[in-house]
Amino acid sequence: MTEVCLPDLGEINEVTVVDWLRQEGETVVAGEGLVEVETEKTTFVVEAPQDGKLALIVKKKGDKARINELLARIS
Amino acid sequence: MSSWLELVENKLEAVHLPLGRVEYVRTYHLQARLHELRCQGKIADTVITVEHEPVFTIGRSGSASNLLVPLKVLQHEGISVYDTERGGNITYHGPGQLVVYPIIDLRSQGCDLKRYIRNLEQSVIGFLARLGIVAERRAGFPGVWVGSRKIASVGVYVKRWITRHGLALNVDVNKCHFGMINPCGMNIEVVSLNELTKEKSSLAKVREGILSQMEQLFGWRFVEGDAQQYWEKDW
Repeated sequence: MTEVCLPDLGEINEVTVVDWLRQEGETVVAGEGLVEVETEKTTFVVEAPQDGKLALIVKKKGDKARINELLARIS
Repeated sequence: MSSWLELVENKLEAVHLPLGRVEYVRTYHLQARLHELRCQGKIADTVITVEHEPVFTIGRSGSASNLLVPLKVLQHEGISVYDTERGGNITYHGPGQLVVYPIIDLRSQGCDLKRYIRNLEQSVIGFLARLGIVAERRAGFPGVWVGSRKIASVGVYVKRWITRHGLALNVDVNKCHFGMINPCGMNIEVVSLNELTKEKSSLAKVREGILSQMEQLFGWRFVEGDAQQYWEKDW
């Protein structure tokens, strides 16, 4: 299992998950957009860190997340 | 100690792409193309400046519920509505508004989303200050405000640390069009620069002022790109 965490975005405390671009069970490729988060009127795309299957979405649409917090797991 | 000349030479070269007045959707697709090219390292940091035909755009956290008039009325007025991937809610673009779309790599700007937004806002605040206008940020409400009225909006999309979308500054807009929405999803009043000054500013003059501020804030030296080449070139 590989953890997908919210990367360091600078002086940002918290983001809101606005949309998952892949759903649980779907195959993902390293570098592709996985989830969109929003803060300060900015949409930021978090990418898949490796190839695999999106096994578990931890932060659902509308949830808040902090830097380095777990968003999902890829198997 | 670095000489002034060396400091100038150390500035990053960025391309300014002045598009004139262009329909929103054409610029939307151009941004997507330039974003991909910037991701591939095939172009330098590029800043589009443009004026749009009347259009409403809805960001990722917005909805059409902030449109205050029926779609039929918009069709009659010739105003389109587009969903976009930028952050934020609903906004208006139209004649008399300077729109700035930086397609830039934030890895050379510290990978800091908040700092980037602050710099976009500061380009407006610094420019307005030169005209004797006091403008400011409001905590929790990105954009630039003159008193309680909003003069500039921001809304950005970042993928692979490359930006698109950006900043819109009201210079002399049709406020009736703004009255058709709750800008940014809030019941706020907007203001144009030319309401605040005796001497009216042209969009071209405002553009030069904003670009000059951006050169200082981002450490760039602009070179002008040929917009025609970008429309026509087969990448």
